[in-house]
Amino acid sequence: MSFVRQTGAVAGKDLRIEVRGRYALGAVLPFAATLLVSFGLSLGPGRTFLQQTAPGLLWMAVTFAAVLSSRRSYESEAEDGALEGLLLAPVDKAAVYLGKLAAIAAQLLVLEVLVLALTAALFDLPLTGDLTQLAGGFVLGTLGLAGVGALFGALDVSARAREAVFPLLVLPLAAPVLVAGVKSTALATSARGGQAGGWLGLLVAFDVVIVAAGTLVYGHLLED
Amino acid sequence: MASRGTTDVLAGGPSRAEQAAAPAVSLRSVTRVFGVTPAVVRVDLTVERGEVVLVRGPNGAGKSTLLRVIATALSPTYGGGDVLGFDLVRDRERIRAHVELLGHRTRLYEDLTAAENLRFACAMTGTDAAGVPDALDRVGLGDVADERVRGFSQGMRQRVAVARALLRHPDLLLLDEPYAGLDTSARDAVDEAVDDAKEAGRTVILATHDVTRASLATRTVVMDGGRLVAEPALADPETSG
Repeated sequence: MSFVRQTGAVAGKDLRIEVRGRYALGAVLPFAATLLVSFGLSLGPGRTFLQQTAPGLLWMAVTFAAVLSSRRSYESEAEDGALEGLLLAPVDKAAVYLGKLAAIAAQLLVLEVLVLALTAALFDLPLTGDLTQLAGGFVLGTLGLAGVGALFGALDVSARAREAVFPLLVLPLAAPVLVAGVKSTALATSARGGQAGGWLGLLVAFDVVIVAAGTLVYGHLLED
Repeated sequence: MASRGTTDVLAGGPSRAEQAAAPAVSLRSVTRVFGVTPAVVRVDLTVERGEVVLVRGPNGAGKSTLLRVIATALSPTYGGGDVLGFDLVRDRERIRAHVELLGHRTRLYEDLTAAENLRFACAMTGTDAAGVPDALDRVGLGDVADERVRGFSQGMRQRVAVARALLRHPDLLLLDEPYAGLDTSARDAVDEAVDDAKEAGRTVILATHDVTRASLATRTVVMDGGRLVAEPALADPETSG
């Protein structure tokens, strides 16, 4: 079986489980919405201030959603020892990593569309700037977050203090994505859209490094 | 297959002829320690191809750990060995292509149906998924093939796991307490799978407390305290373990 088909099988399995469990819509989206609404209420009615803070809050919600979605992706592997089945399968473990990355990224992209719409409505964030750069920032940032989550989720399954370990590993590593995502979103939704290229470049570099590292080391993380 | 043999030689592994002639399992002083607790201690075990070996012993004897080491789910802390001619530590991926472990945990996804679980296993092992309905019929789950595993009893889950093992026809089948939670018909399906493997010349290692299944085996070994405590000839299934 080809590498691509193995990757597709893992991604398809994870997405099917997610669609049936409705975890992203049932738990992650309400969390992100609550975060945005509570911050929106506490920041007050100042339109300019709300617009300036919106990219940061938006990416904070996306980052926490990524943490929750990644953990959920591995909960199904931990329920009845399924991760051992993936370990013992005679497949390239990089295919497993990329499959899980693809499934997490797909869920996040759907969530981001909804969270972006909510943010635009609550914070009056203009979506009339450079939409290509805006979309590029989200796609690249999502790849980076999913890459980190898919990699360290495997550790989370086996770690004794799994509740604490995963955020401790993921959040510091996700900081570059958070910063570049916030900056690129702020620039793309303002009149300075053309200046976001540097931040998008940082996201591309991060994605290349994390996906390459994940592809190389994922098998070792799964092994005893 | 010829090209794989060539590749093995180039990669420093055994040639195809050497691999085919090697015992199914050859463990040399294998020890596995969890923290400071030894689960398997200096086990030397050779299982020839086509044998059906019954591993018996009380709870905590190290049977499951031994099977998981052979399946490459666990690495030996000390010692080493070969499985199907491949090195237990260096050639784990090659071993996994030929070995199936049915363990205590069913390794099923609760939000997938029984058939979807098996089709996913087929995708990950390169097995033809056309046999999925037949495998589920053999364990008596044909009529619930499209129901989610979440609603299944433990016995039904175990039967799905048995069906998964039936599908693959591995060179080495490792069964760890496969009768736990099964009713008579599903137990018969396991026995049938062992008999089929025996007739096809495949190797089976079966860890169980069930003395009534001793007739399936060509040899019995007994474990206690992580060690093999009886030579095969001395291991009387009616009196030991």
